[in-house]
Amino acid sequence: MAFHRSPAAQYFLDSENKNAASSSKDGDKTSEQKVVEWINEASLVSDTNRKIELLRMVQEFIIHKEPHILDNFLHEVVGFQIDKNAEVRKFIVGFIEEACKKDCELLPKVVPNLQILLQDSSPQVQKRVIQAASQVYKSTLAWVSKATLITEEMKAVWVMMGNIKKAIVDLVDSDNDGIRTHTVKFLETLVLCQTYPEEDSLQRENDFSLEDLPLGMKIARRRKLEEEALTLFSLMVKFHGSEHISSVNLMTCMGSLTLIAKMRPTFMGKVIAALETLHMNLPPTLSKSQVSSVRKHLKLQLLNLLKHPKATDYLTNITTLLTDLGATYHEVMKAYPKGEPVRRKPKRPAPAESEPSKKLKMDEIKKEPADDSGGEEERRGAAPSQGPVTETSIDLTEKYIVERLSPEFTADLVITAMSKLPDSMPSVFSATYTPIAAAGTQGQIRHVARLLATQIAAAGLGPGNAIKGKTPWKDFGKKRPLEEDDDDEDDPSASLIVEEPKTANLPAVIQMPSKRSRRSLKLNEITKPLSRENREAMSIAAVKRILVSEKSAIAGGILGLRCKMVATMATSFNPVIRKAILDHILSDVRNNLLLGLSCLYEEYAYLQSFKRLPSALIPDQKKRDQNYGNLLKAFVETLINKTDLKERDMLLFRLFLEAPLITDEVVDILKQLSSRDVIGLTILQELVIRRPPKQIVYLNALLTYTSHESTEIRGTAISYIVMLYDRGELRSIIEEYSVMYLDFLRLPQPPNVLFGAEQGRFKPVDTAAWAEDSIKACLYLYLVLLPANQKLIHELARVYVQTIPDIKRVILRLVEVPVRGMGMDSPQLLSLVEDCPKGSETLVTRVIHILTDKGVPSPELVAKVRELYQTRVSDVRFLIPVLNGLTKKEVIAALPKLIKLNPIVVKEVFNRLLGTHAEAGHTSPISPAELLIALHNIDPTKCELKTVIKATSLCFAEKSAYTQEVLAVVMQNLMEISPLPTLLMRTVIQSLSLYPRLIGFVINILQRLILKQVWKQKKVWEGFIKCCQRTKPQSFQVLLQLPAPQLADVFENSPDLKQPVLNHVMSFTDNQRAHIPQSVMDILIGPEQPIYPMYTVKNEPMSPPELMIDIKDEPSDDAKMKAAQLRPEPVQPTMEPAPPGAE
Amino acid sequence: MCHLYYAGQIQGSTRMPSANLNIAVVCSSNMNRSMEAHAFLSKKGFRVRSFGTGDKVKLPGTGPDRPNVYDFSCTYDEIYQDLLIKDKNFYTQNGLLNMIDRNRRIKPKPERFQLCKEKFDIVVTCEERVYDQVVEYFENRSTTDNASVHVINVDIQDNHEEATLGAFLICELVTLMSKSDDLDNDIDELLHDHESKCQRPILHCVLFY
Repeated sequence: MAFHRSPAAQYFLDSENKNAASSSKDGDKTSEQKVVEWINEASLVSDTNRKIELLRMVQEFIIHKEPHILDNFLHEVVGFQIDKNAEVRKFIVGFIEEACKKDCELLPKVVPNLQILLQDSSPQVQKRVIQAASQVYKSTLAWVSKATLITEEMKAVWVMMGNIKKAIVDLVDSDNDGIRTHTVKFLETLVLCQTYPEEDSLQRENDFSLEDLPLGMKIARRRKLEEEALTLFSLMVKFHGSEHISSVNLMTCMGSLTLIAKMRPTFMGKVIAALETLHMNLPPTLSKSQVSSVRKHLKLQLLNLLKHPKATDYLTNITTLLTDLGATYHEVMKAYPKGEPVRRKPKRPAPAESEPSKKLKMDEIKKEPADDSGGEEERRGAAPSQGPVTETSIDLTEKYIVERLSPEFTADLVITAMSKLPDSMPSVFSATYTPIAAAGTQGQIRHVARLLATQIAAAGLGPGNAIKGKTPWKDFGKKRPLEEDDDDEDDPSASLIVEEPKTANLPAVIQMPSKRSRRSLKLNEITKPLSRENREAMSIAAVKRILVSEKSAIAGGILGLRCKMVATMATSFNPVIRKAILDHILSDVRNNLLLGLSCLYEEYAYLQSFKRLPSALIPDQKKRDQNYGNLLKAFVETLINKTDLKERDMLLFRLFLEAPLITDEVVDILKQLSSRDVIGLTILQELVIRRPPKQIVYLNALLTYTSHESTEIRGTAISYIVMLYDRGELRSIIEEYSVMYLDFLRLPQPPNVLFGAEQGRFKPVDTAAWAEDSIKACLYLYLVLLPANQKLIHELARVYVQTIPDIKRVILRLVEVPVRGMGMDSPQLLSLVEDCPKGSETLVTRVIHILTDKGVPSPELVAKVRELYQTRVSDVRFLIPVLNGLTKKEVIAALPKLIKLNPIVVKEVFNRLLGTHAEAGHTSPISPAELLIALHNIDPTKCELKTVIKATSLCFAEKSAYTQEVLAVVMQNLMEISPLPTLLMRTVIQSLSLYPRLIGFVINILQRLILKQVWKQKKVWEGFIKCCQRTKPQSFQVLLQLPAPQLADVFENSPDLKQPVLNHVMSFTDNQRAHIPQSVMDILIGPEQPIYPMYTVKNEPMSPPELMIDIKDEPSDDAKMKAAQLRPEPVQPTMEPAPPGAE
Repeated sequence: MCHLYYAGQIQGSTRMPSANLNIAVVCSSNMNRSMEAHAFLSKKGFRVRSFGTGDKVKLPGTGPDRPNVYDFSCTYDEIYQDLLIKDKNFYTQNGLLNMIDRNRRIKPKPERFQLCKEKFDIVVTCEERVYDQVVEYFENRSTTDNASVHVINVDIQDNHEEATLGAFLICELVTLMSKSDDLDNDIDELLHDHESKCQRPILHCVLFY
């Protein structure tokens, strides 16, 4: 407070000194005293309002009322700048401003204070300083300009002012909205002060321009200042177009630019371009009402601009823009510049015009060095002829677009852009949209082109941009070299260099780059490296955020980029991050597969050295090489273990097919999987086809599973192999493999490859023996391939010969399906039958059997078999399968041998011949009747009777083949044979017992046999008697026809017949009895008296022991029973033998 | 200047030492809306003045085609007397006399914004057309010291009820502003909040003296 009190004391000292020198006005004294009182009170009072009121009174008094004492109290008042209250400090700034306005000589005393206040902690004070700075700067310029001699003091003030200027310009990036607003205003002042006015410039009082600055000024050079102004103007335009500008800043900036355009029409084009750009690119951060405020403001500014005479050059631009903003025709017309109807037509540069003008520029630039000594006025005159400064890139681009904006092209553009439209209309759009009134007119097309051009230029594209270069302030430097200040006495070419040292204490020209570099330096100073843990934690956190950002990435349409980014991070960052990404991918492989594959490819690129990291970044080269394998392995294993995942198979499939390289390690994993899961096999098969380089590896893996114990896996593997086999290229490998396995069967014991987890079966304790499963394992693949490549059958025959019986048996059983698949026309099979290696007869027989099992053997096959039978193998069994293909003669010839075989085989033979088990269309070389007859005709020397009996019994068993009629035919035929076949009577009895209705036919037979003197063949005769016994009483008729000796023989053999026959005769009428020869009657009655019939005796008929039928399943017993039952039937005396089947 | 006007000013300074906002409320004729807000804000202790932007003071007449038009130089009292003579009953019925009576208790006569030399911190307009006129005026006046002013438009229909409601809304808004430590920095947010609360579009810009 000492400082505050001292002014009072000081005053008294001062006033005493002054008393003598200055006037003796009492009013002065009293007014000074008044001021002292106020100042003292102000320094003591605590109420801010009061303090300010007092200070305001002081200000009013010493600035306006008694300016001559201003200097005396200046320090005392300014001293309040350290007051605690911001309001007071703010007031002091105002005071300084006023004081400077009043008396420029005070500047050296207050500018330092201003500089200090600019650093004030309160934004209110800062704002006030910036606000005051405009005025103070103007005053400074004016002060310097008027001075006849530049003093050191002036230089110091100028430098200080430069510093303030620089500091304020930097504040355009301030966080405080208000500070930015005032900074823009200050920039406006700077631009206006440091440029030249033009004839149609808007004039304001108190304005300063470069014209007011004397030419010879050393410390403030016109050219430098103007360059600075241009840079600042660019900065303003840039700020105006920045994306996140606040509405207040924007409107301020808009107003400032408009003002600049009005006061410095050179900038008009640039300003209008900036406003156009703004109109199409309103900051997205603005709220709805802010948008309407901004649009309203923009409209107002444009209407204002329109009133300016210079605006005639841009009438179309402005009016179109205004129409877009919703201005009515009336409003626009009202603002039209008056008195310039001729110039209303927009002076838009036509294409033809632009070329010369550009040329002109070029010429002028060339001329520049020579032209340098010319007067300033001359050059000033030249400047407008160049047209507005802002014959900008936008104009060029616009021209370019207008030429191309045909309806077709426009339609294409619209269609292309359609996909980028948001789903719902943004509120900003609906708020700002105004219907297009003049669609399709030339003006509107121009306008659209203009809008596009502003967009394109903003993006830094387009022909205009290419020509003009990118940084606007560079343009200015190039464009206006002519307006260089010529006040330099120095050689202009040297001026820059010479000036350097001088400018050291002058305010440096504010340039963006220097500002930037200073900033980054600052950043380095104030930041220090993070700790390692911190850094890692943060980087992981960042990576994790990237990882969870998939949805936003999709929404933003940069999914691919994100993928690439993550992949790059996963491969080139440290293991912790690598692990985090891997975990993320593995946590949801389904959705992250794409990402995973990207990572794989990235790793692969490193693995193959397509890509290299700087060696410093590679911690461990060895590990690098394993990265790919490890990554792939991790993916595969995770997927395999995710058994609950529905798409697991599909994902695995994709992974294997899309991964750039399948490592051996992963192949092993796949193999393991294959032994459990068919998906592994599917993948292997696809790999064989789609990844040829390692085809053999995959094929071998797949082949391994063709001998797997599990039917599912084996079946799948085999079906895939067959599929591959059918493709051709890999045939030989697959065949070799199958034959190799086949060859295993020749080994004394099964090889180890057949066992183990991979094969799904375990080695039995008894390792030496071939078990059925191991035998089968060697055959599966081979047997499947067999029908496809029938030549392989010879391999089987070759191996078959060398195997043990157990294996042979299995082979014979398994060979059925493939052989049936090959068919009997197969030349390879025929050739096998033909060659029939020694020892393989059983195989060949089996093959023939299979082939003929269900069909008629083909002639070729029959021929081969016949040939084999006749030339090399006399085993009749060979013939059985082809029996039906042989001739009747051959069959009959083979019969004796055939029936000697095992009963089961014999039955099979008969089945074949009789076609009982064959399907329809069966043809036999021999009919059932012929067969039976042939059996009867077998030479007893060739075959035992018993065997033949068994064979006939088989025939009788086939009731479907041997019907009543067939048997009748047989008997009829047998009757014709001479001598009678031994088994004739047996067959007759058999037939009768099967078909009792044949009785009439049999009686007939018996009668005819008598004619054939049946008694001459002992066996037949026995049978005859037997038959008569069976057929009584019908046979009595027959017996009575026998010659007497034979009848006696009958009775001798079968005494039980005698009485019934006698009884029969006795029942005759005498007349009838007369026909019976006496010899017969004698035998009947004989020595004995006629006996009354004895019905009580009932004898079971007996076959002669030789004729006993000994085949178990023969229905003869049953038949016999039936026959027995038949006997009590009433005798039909007049019965005639009926023809077979007539009954 | 009216006694009441100064009273309001002093009151404001004692009640609100933190923010000495200098407020202007502007409507077309400085009769209804601006005066309603002026009265309301004064009572709340704000430093406030009211203005009209129109060329003349216009008041509804007995028919739609017969408005009462006065020059800004007329006092409220003169207008009051004039209407009283013209049709006391009618103007009592439609509340005009009552309104003007209130006005003359606040200040002697309507003021035109364009003629005022005082600098304000906040100018509240009651109609978009008025806002336009204010902005227009600022654009065309020559700058002095670049002091900034917030111009805010709150749309209020020109009738008694809306004027009362509008005055309330303006007061609410101004109260919010007076509480801010750095109005320039806070105003965007502040207006946005108020706008969403009262559901009326607000226009706003910053202009300079």
